[in-house]
Amino acid sequence: MDEPLLEMREITKYIYDSSGRPIRNSDVKILDSVSFDLRRGEVHVLVGENGAGKSTLMKILGGIIPPDQGTISLEGAAVSLASARKARDRGIAFIHQELNLCANLDVAHNIFLGREPTRGGVLDKKKLYAQARALLSSLGFEIDPMVMLGRLATAHQQIVEIAKALSYESKILIMDEPTASLSKNEIDRLFSLMRTLQARGIGIVYISHRFEELRQVGDRISVLRDGRSIGTIPSQGFREDEVIQMMVGRSIDDMYPRSHRPTDDVLLAVENLRLPPGAPPLSLTVRRGEVVGISGLVGSGRTELLKTIFGARRLLSGRIVYNGRKINGWRPGRLVRAGMAYLSEDRKTEGLITAMTIRENVTLASLFRLFRFGMISQRKEREAARKSVQQLRIVARSVEQTVGTLSGGNQQRTVFAKWRAAEPQLLLLDEPTRGIDVGAKSQIYKMIDEIAAQGLGVLMVSSELPELIGMSDRIYVMRAGTLVAELTEREAMTQAGILAHILKGASQPVL
Amino acid sequence: MKRIIQHALKNGSAVILVLLVLVGIVFVRNFASVDNAAVIVRQSAIPAIAVLGMTMVLMTGGIDLSLGFVVGLASTATGFMAKVWGLPVDLTVAATVLIGALVGLVNGAIIQFMKVPSFITTLGTGYILYGISQLASAGNVITRLPPSLLAVGRTDLLGLPTSVYIAVGIVALGWFLIHKSVFGRALTAFGFNSRVAFLSGLPTARVNVLTYVLCSSLAALAGLLLTIRVNAAQPNMGGGVFTFEIITAAIVGGTSLFGGVGSVIGSLFGVLIIKVIENCINLMNISYHLYLAVQGGIILTVIVMDKIRSRAA
Amino acid sequence: MGQRVGRILFSLLGVAALAAAGLLVPHFLTPANLLNVVRQSSIIGIGAVGMTMVIVILGIDLSIAGLIALCPMASGLLMLQGVPIVISIVAGIIAGIGMGLFNGLMVAKLNVPPFITTLVVGQVSQGLALIMNNGRSIGGFPASYVHIGNGSFLGIPVSDLLLLVMMGIGIFITQFTPTGNRIYALGGNETVVRQEGINADGLKLFVYAFSGFCASIAGILLSAQLDTVHPIQGDPYLLDTIAACVIGGVSLAGGEGRVAMAVAGALIIGSVRNVLDLLGVHPFFQNVLVGTIIILVVFGSGLSRYRRTVPV
Repeated sequence: MDEPLLEMREITKYIYDSSGRPIRNSDVKILDSVSFDLRRGEVHVLVGENGAGKSTLMKILGGIIPPDQGTISLEGAAVSLASARKARDRGIAFIHQELNLCANLDVAHNIFLGREPTRGGVLDKKKLYAQARALLSSLGFEIDPMVMLGRLATAHQQIVEIAKALSYESKILIMDEPTASLSKNEIDRLFSLMRTLQARGIGIVYISHRFEELRQVGDRISVLRDGRSIGTIPSQGFREDEVIQMMVGRSIDDMYPRSHRPTDDVLLAVENLRLPPGAPPLSLTVRRGEVVGISGLVGSGRTELLKTIFGARRLLSGRIVYNGRKINGWRPGRLVRAGMAYLSEDRKTEGLITAMTIRENVTLASLFRLFRFGMISQRKEREAARKSVQQLRIVARSVEQTVGTLSGGNQQRTVFAKWRAAEPQLLLLDEPTRGIDVGAKSQIYKMIDEIAAQGLGVLMVSSELPELIGMSDRIYVMRAGTLVAELTEREAMTQAGILAHILKGASQPVL
Repeated sequence: MKRIIQHALKNGSAVILVLLVLVGIVFVRNFASVDNAAVIVRQSAIPAIAVLGMTMVLMTGGIDLSLGFVVGLASTATGFMAKVWGLPVDLTVAATVLIGALVGLVNGAIIQFMKVPSFITTLGTGYILYGISQLASAGNVITRLPPSLLAVGRTDLLGLPTSVYIAVGIVALGWFLIHKSVFGRALTAFGFNSRVAFLSGLPTARVNVLTYVLCSSLAALAGLLLTIRVNAAQPNMGGGVFTFEIITAAIVGGTSLFGGVGSVIGSLFGVLIIKVIENCINLMNISYHLYLAVQGGIILTVIVMDKIRSRAA
Repeated sequence: MGQRVGRILFSLLGVAALAAAGLLVPHFLTPANLLNVVRQSSIIGIGAVGMTMVIVILGIDLSIAGLIALCPMASGLLMLQGVPIVISIVAGIIAGIGMGLFNGLMVAKLNVPPFITTLVVGQVSQGLALIMNNGRSIGGFPASYVHIGNGSFLGIPVSDLLLLVMMGIGIFITQFTPTGNRIYALGGNETVVRQEGINADGLKLFVYAFSGFCASIAGILLSAQLDTVHPIQGDPYLLDTIAACVIGGVSLAGGEGRVAMAVAGALIIGSVRNVLDLLGVHPFFQNVLVGTIIILVVFGSGLSRYRRTVPV
């Protein structure tokens, strides 16, 4: 009858501690009783900020992770999606942002990998190519199935992935930011493909941030915020500010201390930097005693900006001046000695050596500073580590504990300790409070404020708007590899205002 | 330090050595004598120097398959310099080690800057060195080296030749370098996670290249001392078999193939274990060829046990 | 540009080099010599067939040197005892496949880096080859065995035919079976392969076993050619086989490389060695050259044409 194609009810996913157990009684959950449904032949758009829970919800639908609570029904019947393969067998196809294909095989071999047609044990190439060609034509695309996948434009690679998904007779397609690297032309063709699929009764879940697109392609829009469903509205004639308000509507807590005062002394000046070669140049400054925030979507180039400043990424065009000196081409080793510090967004693989102890990690950036003659004094090192542990309130049995066993919050504190010990003048922070508990967060905010109060400069990338607004003296907004706004007045720094800057934009390739 | 002791104990190389010695004392005739102990010590000295270098390279997560061929090159070079050209001893020693350093520099540069995997690079350079050694020596073995050169390694001190004391000194220096110095810490960090080491401001390129330089220099020194020991300079010295023996010693001693974990003491025990087994096999008149095959079995057993243990953890 | 253009350039280069050699080097372009080149390259070529697949799945097989010694030693000893030739050869082949399976197990199930497990297996095989006859060579095999290495069938040397057959098998597996597709996929994006429910571990086992098989055939052929089994006869062939694959465009980054091209690479290496021999260049200096070539080609092709995972 007219039952929905898909019904997800009261889906809940808890956060997990470092040994993999769910924390059931926490207020903070990854998903909190989220419900979502999809009708036949509709495009249901899912929006929300970074970390709102969109990808987790879809990973559950795609069978990649299990829900802790809640039910999923397909066409009225309850199902359990124990693996990605099972989900696919049930007709759910997930088109990820990083395409799941082999660049070194041709299109047809990719599509039928694992199901290659044979005749008497021998590969039936005729059938292989014929079937691939038919599949691609039925989608309205004339892609040569004999071409090596890696040679195709990204847009076409995506079509191949969609074709592959459809070859399993999928009924539901999940598309995660599919237009991120497509040109206007390619997006139009994708949308017309989607309309073809809709006509076949296929339901599409479409995750995106691009408001202009949502008008063109969606039937309904659902908003998630902080792991909860906020509401679902029809796409027809939706108002942007209504959606933005749904995405951010929360009060800013009073947890952001502000004892620091920016000076006029420019510590860091980036001049005419071009991140992707074709993008417009960007310039920014950070002063002593100032906390400068950078906001933007994932993929807008924020991390690349920080890495370029830190010398971990090649600078193609532009100039960076630090402490009055041009530092183009300086590598991290030299910059660390000159007082620059960089906290990566990925602390487990770029911030800490998880196999080493707290003591060893804390001194990692200040070895030469601490031990002038090249010989490590264990006693001195242990002292330094203990002091750090105390100052930053790292919770551990001893400084000899392996960092890999610490909780997320304590790991991040250890990273801060490492950089603190290096006596930096400029801190480059990338998502400094991602994935850590509230207690650690407020402590880190306090630390950032203290650091700035001592006259240091802080350049902070964050996806959490309240945090950015609470901590920053100025906020830059990045989009598609360049800066699109600089907010200096506190009145302009509202969540809705910043989000509006972030989201309004034509489709352009990003990093 | 505690972690290293813990690791050596966990890995049991010390335990294995003790057990082997006990087995030897009980089952092998002529094993338990001061003379035989001296033999084992003498046999272990020179490989101990070489294993130091290999341990460092393994700790960076790489491997040096050219080590045995550096030994051959060093031997050939020593013969030339000391006998054919009649150079003074100190110059010969310095030049030989320098040759090793140069080889290491090339290896390190290719691995670090050209990003060619270490096993391919050192396999290639190893063959190249083998070729050079053979060509330079024209297949000849140079014997009856000048006494002044031989004195470097063969002078008797309290019943043991000087090469043993040299080895002890170098191993001690190595221990300080790897476990107590900033370089050693940078090396360990690089081996565990080179990206974090780089982003923490450590001079990772220099550390990586320097490791290979040190390894080949130590290999060259080992070649020089071996040449002195047998009083013959030949291009065939060392070779692939020697490389393999050194790798076995390091792994048995607890050095991890994946980088980061390594112990000078453990590798020293590894050498002793290998040499004790060799000694027993000699005393029992078992074919040396069998021993080569057994060596492979030893490495595999250690690797498998290590895997099983880390799975269970 | 294109794979096709690359191949054409490669062949042109090969032809040009051959022409140059023919003009400059006395005796090179004689039919007798050229047949000899193919005959000698066939050992490398057969090994390269198996090595190609191993490198495609991001592995390496350093054990072939030991197997080229061990397998014919096992067969040879049996033959000298009077065991029928066919059974003896099969025994040698089984040894090769067995060692290969062991390699595959270590790599697939225990995640041991391929270079270590194959290095060790190679040493163990070498050691066994030495033990089996106390380090001595053996020779004086039955005429039909020697015929394999030195005789002709319908005018073509049997060695060359064997190379063609092995190459044919390799090409068939890689280009004409689903397994071949999955092997290349494994080298391209292992995650996808496992997601599709393909038995990735089984594929790895197969590839290493097949390489062991090829090494055993190469060794048996070599000994048939020489009518001798020398316990360390495998040593020179490891580097040459890897060089053949690398020259033939098999990328160390995985997922790329054709069996046919690797065999072509083997012919090139064989020709290079032949030319150098004719010019009187010492074999050891030849090693220097081959070693340098490998490093340079690997460096040059380090910029692989395809990225491992599809870029976004």
